[in-house]
Amino acid sequence: MGLIELLAPAGSKEKMEFAFLYGADAIYFAGQEFGLRANAKNFTREEMKETVEYAHSIGKKCYVTVNIVFHNEDLENLKDYLLFLDSIHVDAILASDVSVMNLYKELGLHMELHISTQASTLNSGAALFYKELGAKRIVLAREANRKDIIDIKEKTGLDLECFAHGAMCTSISGRCVMSNYATNRDSNRGGCVQICRWTFDYLKDNEKLTDKPFSMTPKDLNMISYIEDMLKNGVNSFKIEGRMRSIYYVSTVILIYRRILDKIINNTLTDEYKDYALKVLNRVANRESSPQFYDKLPGVNEQYYLGRDEASNQDFLGLVLGNKDGYVEIEERNTFKVGDVVEFFGPSFETFSCTINKIYDKDMNEIEKAIHPKEILYLDLGREIPRYSMMRVKI
Amino acid sequence: MEKSKVLINVNNLSEIDEYKKVGISNFLFPVKDLSMGYQEYELDSIPDNSYLLINRVFDTETLELFKSIIDKLDRFKGVVFEDLSVLYYLKDKDIELIWNQAHFVTNYASINYYLNHGCTSAVISNEITKEEIEEIVKKSDKKVILNVLGKNMVMYSRRTLVSNFNKYSNIDNVNGVNIEDKKTNTNFYLKENKYGTAVFNNTYFNYINKLDVDDNNILYYLVYNLDLEPSKIISIIDGEEFGNDGFLFKKTTYKMKEYDDRRGDK
Repeated sequence: MGLIELLAPAGSKEKMEFAFLYGADAIYFAGQEFGLRANAKNFTREEMKETVEYAHSIGKKCYVTVNIVFHNEDLENLKDYLLFLDSIHVDAILASDVSVMNLYKELGLHMELHISTQASTLNSGAALFYKELGAKRIVLAREANRKDIIDIKEKTGLDLECFAHGAMCTSISGRCVMSNYATNRDSNRGGCVQICRWTFDYLKDNEKLTDKPFSMTPKDLNMISYIEDMLKNGVNSFKIEGRMRSIYYVSTVILIYRRILDKIINNTLTDEYKDYALKVLNRVANRESSPQFYDKLPGVNEQYYLGRDEASNQDFLGLVLGNKDGYVEIEERNTFKVGDVVEFFGPSFETFSCTINKIYDKDMNEIEKAIHPKEILYLDLGREIPRYSMMRVKI
Repeated sequence: MEKSKVLINVNNLSEIDEYKKVGISNFLFPVKDLSMGYQEYELDSIPDNSYLLINRVFDTETLELFKSIIDKLDRFKGVVFEDLSVLYYLKDKDIELIWNQAHFVTNYASINYYLNHGCTSAVISNEITKEEIEEIVKKSDKKVILNVLGKNMVMYSRRTLVSNFNKYSNIDNVNGVNIEDKKTNTNFYLKENKYGTAVFNNTYFNYINKLDVDDNNILYYLVYNLDLEPSKIISIIDGEEFGNDGFLFKKTTYKMKEYDDRRGDK
C-alpha cells in the first residue's frame, strides 16, 4: 500500500487542532482569498503560517484551497498569494482553474498541485491533462464510481483523493450557477446558497403537477462500507467534508474513520465495528447518508423530498478540559442530569459509557441537572479522562 | 452582428434551410450520448463541416465511447467541448477545438492558456459582466466566441432528478418540467436523459448588439436555441427586442459582507 491519508476539514484554528488530535493526517482550509467557503471563518496569512508550522511540528500536512473559478479581477493578487503559500511551506494547493495551475507551473513552486473536486474529474483523459500541468493528485468528482477510480489510477499513477463522508452537491461540482440566478451570489466563487436544498413548485406547461414540493436535496455521503475496497482500488486520501461543521462533528467523524483505517491496516476490522461506526456516524449528522455513486447511480432513495428539515444535534454534552482533585472538569454543551448514561470518547482510549452519579458546579456545589451551555462543571467518575475528550449521549 | 458569424444549434434538420436562406451557415450539433440538454443527433446523421457539441462531463465509460469515434471526426469543422479529455485526445488532430467548460470560461488568463495549448477558440461564459466580457475579448490571444442568445444551462447533475421526484410523487413519466420559486421569482426548466439532468434558467438572455467589442476579435456569435422557431431567432438577430440582459449589468457577489454592503446593510 502507498500513501494512506485521512484528510480533515479545518474551518478554523480550533477545528484544525481537534482534527489533528482526533487522528487526521492532513487538513485542508482556505485563506481569506480564493477559497470556495467565502463565509467560513477562513485563515489570515499569519494564522496560515502558524498553522503550517504547527502541523509540520507534529508531522502532519496542510493543503490550502485556491479553488474558485477566477474572474479577471481575481487574477491581480494571485501570483503574490501563490508565492506566499509556497514561502510558508504549505504542502499543496487545491485548484480548479487552469490560470492557477499554469501560474503554479510557471513560477516553479515547491508545494504540490492538487486538482480540486470543483474540476469534476471522472476520467483518465482529463486526469492526464492535469498531470501534464504538474498535478500530483486529483481530488475526484463525488460522482466517481469504482470503475472510474480503478481506470484513473491505472492510467495516470496519480495520487487519488476521494470524498469519504459529508454533504453532497446535487450538481456535478462547478457546473452549477443556480445561486447566481436566484440570489445573484456567485456559487463558483464561494457564494453558493445551496438552492438544491430549497423546495419548488413542480410544473408542466404552467400547470402544477402535484401539491408536493419538488426537492432535489441529496442525502450525505458515507463510505464506511467501501473504505477497504477504495484502498484496494488505489485511493490514497480519504477526505471528510465540512469546513463549516462543529468540532464535535469533525472529531467524531475523524475518530471513526481513523479507527476504520487503522483496523484495515492492522487487519482487525470486523463487521461488528463497521456496524458500530455506521451507528455513530448516522447519529452525529443531521442528515441520512449513503455511498451515493460508488457502486450504483443514486436513485429515488438517495434524496430528500421534504425540504430542509434538519434537526440540530443535541448529543454533544460536554468537552473535557482536564482533571482536578479527582474530578473530571468539563465545559457543558447540552443538557444532562444525574442518572443519565453517557459516553466518553477521545483519540487515546476506547470509547466507554458510564452513569452520571454526581455533578458539581464551579464552587463544588452539587447540582442535579446541567442546563447552562459553556458552564464549567465537575464530575466524579472514579477515573481521569484526557483533556479534549468529549462526552456525548450514549449511542 | 453579421449573420455569417452566427453559430447556432439545430433542433430539427429542416431548420437548416431556413437559416441558410438568411445567411446563417454555421451549425452546432449536440452528439448523441456525448451531450446534455439539447436535441441530440447520431454522429452519422450530422452534416459535414458542422460543429459538434460535446458537453457531457465524461466518466470512464463515456471516455471509451468518445475514443471509439475519434476516427470519424475528420469530416467535421470543430468540436465545442466541456470535458478536458477531448482536448487531451484531439489536440494533435486537424480539427478546431473550442473550449466551452460550463461556467469556467470567465477570465483571460485561463482562456489564453487553452488558446495556446491546442484550442482554436473559447466560448465565454455569460455569468459575468459586460465589462468582464469586453476585457476578455481585448486580452485574448485568438478570436473568441460570444454566447449571445439562449436559455442558460445553469446546472448539470448526474442524478435523474425528474424521474426520482416522479417516482416519489407517483407521477407518470413526465420530462421537460419546470420548477418555480415564487420568493425569488425564479423558474428553471429541467430536462433529463439517462446521463443525468440539465437545468436551464427559463428566461432567454439576449446580448445581441449590447457588447462593445471589436468584431475582428470574434470568431462566432453563439445562439443556443432551446425552444424557439427559426423565424423568431432570425427576427431577434435582426433586432427584435427579446429576452433580458442576464449578468451584463449585474455583478455577482460571493461574500455576505459584499452582499450586505450592496443592499446598504453596512
